[in-house]
Amino acid sequence: MSAQQAEMDVYVALQRQLYQEARLLSAEQYDDWLAMLCDEVHYEMEMPQRRLREDKTNNWAPIKTPIFNDDMAALLMRIARFKTGFVWSENPINAIRHIVSNVEVFNTEIKDQFLVHSIIEVHRSRLDAERKRLTAGRQDLWNKTATGYKLLKRTAVLDDSVVLDSNINFFF
Amino acid sequence: MKKLDDLVDFKTGRQKRVIYSDPAIYEEELEKIFGRCWLFLTHESQIKEPGDFIRTFMGEDEVLVVRQKDDSIKAFLNTCTHRGNRLCKADHGNSRKFVCNYHGWSFGFDGKLNGVPLEKEAYNDQLDKSKFGLIEVAQIASYKGLVFATFDETAPSLEDYLGEMKWYLDIWLDAMPEGTELIGTAMKVELPVNWKLPVENVSGDGYHLGWAHAGAMTVSSSMEVGGLAVGNATADNSGAVSVAGMNGHAVLAALDGQSGYGFYPDPKMAVDYLEENRATVIDRLGEYRGKRMWGSQINMTVFPNLQMLPGLNWFRVYHPKGPGKFEMWTWAMVDKEMSDDLKQMILNNVSRTFGPAGLFDNDDGDNLQAITEQSRGWRTRQMDIYTNMAIGGEHSRDEMPGVVSEGLICEQNQRYVYRRWLEMMQADSWADVPSYNNLQEARATEAK
Repeated sequence: MSAQQAEMDVYVALQRQLYQEARLLSAEQYDDWLAMLCDEVHYEMEMPQRRLREDKTNNWAPIKTPIFNDDMAALLMRIARFKTGFVWSENPINAIRHIVSNVEVFNTEIKDQFLVHSIIEVHRSRLDAERKRLTAGRQDLWNKTATGYKLLKRTAVLDDSVVLDSNINFFF
Repeated sequence: MKKLDDLVDFKTGRQKRVIYSDPAIYEEELEKIFGRCWLFLTHESQIKEPGDFIRTFMGEDEVLVVRQKDDSIKAFLNTCTHRGNRLCKADHGNSRKFVCNYHGWSFGFDGKLNGVPLEKEAYNDQLDKSKFGLIEVAQIASYKGLVFATFDETAPSLEDYLGEMKWYLDIWLDAMPEGTELIGTAMKVELPVNWKLPVENVSGDGYHLGWAHAGAMTVSSSMEVGGLAVGNATADNSGAVSVAGMNGHAVLAALDGQSGYGFYPDPKMAVDYLEENRATVIDRLGEYRGKRMWGSQINMTVFPNLQMLPGLNWFRVYHPKGPGKFEMWTWAMVDKEMSDDLKQMILNNVSRTFGPAGLFDNDDGDNLQAITEQSRGWRTRQMDIYTNMAIGGEHSRDEMPGVVSEGLICEQNQRYVYRRWLEMMQADSWADVPSYNNLQEARATEAK
């Protein structure tokens, strides 16, 4: 089954949505970001593994290992932690940029629900010359609602099998 | 290395910062600590079938740990015996053979060299393949599901190496009849930190919890844990212990029987599991461990680089990558008897608290990185830092082995970890390393 590209107006609207989302995340405007999510949102990222191409066994990870496996309550907990004022690693404010690219939007079998592929690149400049860059692919489901597009599900795939930053105090 | 004497002072709880930054000291550690100690390789649950393998590290040496046809486990250096290429690049998997990408030498998963391309035409059939099998570790052994190995054939047995720590390890490994398993795969993070700093932190530093993790504790605590308070505003040290002096191994333990699940926002499913099974555990471990310790928040350290927290249920090993860098591998470990729902809840919580995006773990990296960097300057590397809290509070208790101090907020354990570090670094061989397998041995050295 070849996925059907969404109409241009939907494509433009969701691309705008992803850009706006990236700006809100970089600016730590988390309440505004939460307003973009469905109440039943599922936000996940799995720990990558390096396996041989010919290895089809499932002995290894019958249970997937999450970096994120969050519902709305878990996301609220993470954001509540940021707001306590006790997260010393984020003080001073670290410069962070979320760069979104390779956006593709497809219709799904459900009316007003769209499958969105994108790539996210997160740059962080922290103390002195310290600079971190993480990349991930994202596969989202966005619902068109009366109050705009809302994220129902995000599956992000980190590229590194060893995470090269000492914290992930941000979202992808 | 005589000069090491000045680097760590057990009696005053002092360390010279240079031990976190000096490349020469680090090289010495690779030889005298990682080259000699029993190091954790894998949990038996991770390699169940013949040919199942995991690629891991012993110090900076890469090893393949492989389940054999006869169910035994072997560990080989992950390097071709011909020209030294890395044999296997996968994190784990199942393989009948390991073939070198350079010239095609093929090794069975028992380590034997089976195939050499052009053996007849180029080697003139003169190569004795039996002499070029993969190089094994010196000793390999398991303790209740945990597989360890050492490069030193003169090292004491694993049982003797663990010594009295076994009494504490059993609170997790042997509480339930079917034992434990690691679920999922390792969460791996590289940190620009000296490897000793996370070890000392988890071995005994309950002090930092209320301050460094104040944000995480504020949002995730559902019950009191060991008398710790957000912001270090107050502390009740009466219901918990620090235990050390057991061959460098250490334990921090609350004694309430449930606070291990105190950093779960909704621990009901876990607490129900504890109460449903407590009678079984009391039967297996006795009243004290079954009632007071099983289910409590406990930090366990197996010297030099393995740590586990039953309750929070994480299991972690540190692989050094130079004086200022290590890789941290974290798993969720569970009782096999637990329901799939409970296992999934635990895995989610391990990830959410101590994974790469963990609410707690994300507080530690910057502090430990900064200590590493503040040990690198010409002036700072000559300076001292201290683990001198509650010196003189050491005592012993009939109900548990080891040297005991009161409370989770106490720096006794770090002092004993560094004492072991110094003993290993100064010893010419295992014959020179003191054994602390009972209280008399452990406390005799205090007076020195």
